[in-house]
Amino acid sequence: MRSSHVSPKMALSRVCPRLWRACSLSFPLQSSLLPAAVRLQSSASSTPTPAEPPVPRTSLSLPPWAGAPSPVPLEEEQRQHAAVMTAVNSIISGQDFGRLFAVVYFAGRQWKVTDEDLILVENHIEAECGDRIRLEKVLLVGAQDFTLVGRPLLAKELVRVDATVIEKTESVPKVNMKFWKRHRFQKKKIIIQPQTVLRINNIRLAQRLHESYQILFVDGFVSK
Amino acid sequence: MVFLTLSCLIRSRGPDRYWKVQEVLKHARHFRGRKNRCYSLAVRAVRRAFLYATKARKLKKRNMRTLWISRIAAASREHGMKYPALIHNLIKCSVQLNRHVISDLAITEPRSFLSLAKLARARQQEGFRAALGDGKETPGVLSRVVFLQ
Repeated sequence: MRSSHVSPKMALSRVCPRLWRACSLSFPLQSSLLPAAVRLQSSASSTPTPAEPPVPRTSLSLPPWAGAPSPVPLEEEQRQHAAVMTAVNSIISGQDFGRLFAVVYFAGRQWKVTDEDLILVENHIEAECGDRIRLEKVLLVGAQDFTLVGRPLLAKELVRVDATVIEKTESVPKVNMKFWKRHRFQKKKIIIQPQTVLRINNIRLAQRLHESYQILFVDGFVSK
Repeated sequence: MVFLTLSCLIRSRGPDRYWKVQEVLKHARHFRGRKNRCYSLAVRAVRRAFLYATKARKLKKRNMRTLWISRIAAASREHGMKYPALIHNLIKCSVQLNRHVISDLAITEPRSFLSLAKLARARQQEGFRAALGDGKETPGVLSRVVFLQ
């Protein structure tokens, strides 16, 4: 199933009200200076023309970015929130999104994994061969039609990534050599590191998203 | 000196020269020229090879990071954003994906990368709106704008 992205622009985020409420008002500089411009023009001109601001145009008279777009009003935002949530929930509860991929934080590195992946980790893991492991720190989960972005991590109840320890070996011997010429200084050390091979068995999503997720951004993805 | 028997005449230098030489030559077998056969040349070439390998392990990390950054910059410019803006706004959204993973998403998951770019742009616009405020000067500040108004 390939559904197009939801058209309204929004985003979903965890309830962090500090920055993510829409700004109440944001008039660009020009509009606030327009009345001033009309007043300063000669009295002969009665019709308000879209004049330049009274401040002479220098490199610092206007901000370097183009005028900020007007924010979306609150009711519109909430309607879009509900629309995106229902769309994504219908996809998830139907459980027909196909293959999932996830970005997982493990052993000090981030890995982009899918089902049936093999991972070679360059250190020792406290688990025996054949043990099933759950990778808990998931940063991002995606399917073909939606992406769930964690800020920074996704909830443990939302995603489950299972892996099995397949092999515990040692790496090839690597040579670490130091040499200073004309100083009779030479050291050679052979480094062999333990390695572990994991097979990612499956990546599973929970049944539906929690309603407390606040919309942050849209276009068919949910950012938590 | 006068050696009266053969065993005193012939010196025994050491039993395993052959294996010590092979230990060095085995690392040089794929080299070009006489340094894959002759021990004195091979010793120097093998030492250089080990040194290059040791230094390259540090350089590889730097080069890979530069590669990821240039890939992310190219992908974000396709969506109308620049690399510093993308990364800074993702950090401000507390999205802690590293450059390795973001470049992999840009290559293999273009829709997810597009969603990250839009997230960053939305955060950027929020920042601009917060900076511009309501277009008025802060109270108590006298400037050209206030004077001309």
